[in-house]
Amino acid sequence: MAVDPAVTGMLAAALAIILLVGATQKWRDVPGFHGALDRYGLLPSGLLRPTAWTLPVVEAGAGVALVIEPTRVPGAVLGLGVLTVVTGAVVINLLRGRFDLGCGCGGLEDEQPLSWGLVLRNVVLALLLGVTLVATTARALTWIDYLTVAVGGGTLYGLYVVANQLLANRPRLLRLRYSA
Amino acid sequence: MIPSLLVAVVVLWIMVVALTIAVFALARQIGVLYERVAPMGALMMDEGPKVGDIAPAFNLTTLAGTRIQVGAAGPHSALIFFVSPTCPVCKKLVPVLRSIAQDESTWLRIVLASDGDEGKQRAFYAQAKLADFPYVLSSDLGLAFKVAKLPYAVLLDEHGRVRAKGLINSREQLESLFTAKDLGVESIQEYLQKA
Repeated sequence: MAVDPAVTGMLAAALAIILLVGATQKWRDVPGFHGALDRYGLLPSGLLRPTAWTLPVVEAGAGVALVIEPTRVPGAVLGLGVLTVVTGAVVINLLRGRFDLGCGCGGLEDEQPLSWGLVLRNVVLALLLGVTLVATTARALTWIDYLTVAVGGGTLYGLYVVANQLLANRPRLLRLRYSA
Repeated sequence: MIPSLLVAVVVLWIMVVALTIAVFALARQIGVLYERVAPMGALMMDEGPKVGDIAPAFNLTTLAGTRIQVGAAGPHSALIFFVSPTCPVCKKLVPVLRSIAQDESTWLRIVLASDGDEGKQRAFYAQAKLADFPYVLSSDLGLAFKVAKLPYAVLLDEHGRVRAKGLINSREQLESLFTAKDLGVESIQEYLQKA
């Protein structure tokens, strides 16, 4: 089975934006991300600082590699690695029952506490990354394909932001319901 | 390519982008709304000693090694603030507690209470620089006030009577306990319901 190159390009563009924005948000607030890692309670305190710096670097590296055609495959694999590690950390803390923990994703997403919805979001991202690994059909791209890649990628990113906002809204709604 | 299809694709893209932005704006506004209409005062769980009851008294040793009376009558009112090293909101509220301890020092003493592994407690105590507060470890204290969620605060007056209590997430909620005491109501929720 092969995927149309325009579809692969669109997914790669969207995932690259997600990874790059995620990385810059963590860089802009390294102490905040450091604190979030600390609260996850998985790493010894000596490893917190190096992880707080390297995780966004790997994230950004995967994002950049994804948009460049020849490095797309290693980029996708790297991205899957990052996703697996962070989702694993989330799952461990959810199993510990720590639904009050901030996700530490940086930026707007940071408002949301850990939830199974967050895990589902990451699984969907991983599946989309998987699709970019599938071979593409040979087909000459025309300008309208570039439109699909650029605008489609941007719109997918927009939907990701919407999903995050809804995930952040959910606990607020529950709080309202139970306090009324 | 057929020009009409091309035009359709471009027009549809423009609309999809516009709709995505609109959906995001709506979701964001809903989030802000939820946040704004959230309960104003500290949320009170209707368990443990009732407001107006004499609180059970405890004789406890602080982490600093001094013995203190918690819940007994004394010259000052007491705020028992239940925390835990694993509760992020608790850490966030430490500066708030510090400033309240200073502002209200004429009538109020703050006692931090927790329970569990002493090693972790001492690490938290040192890391959050809590040496200014008496910090006691006692499961019995938490059980006596039926503390289910953290951070939780109980305000006792100088006679050892419970004046207000509740789950605390912000400075405003903490101050709502003092307001509740001044107004002579159990919680700000009760006051709002009466009004």
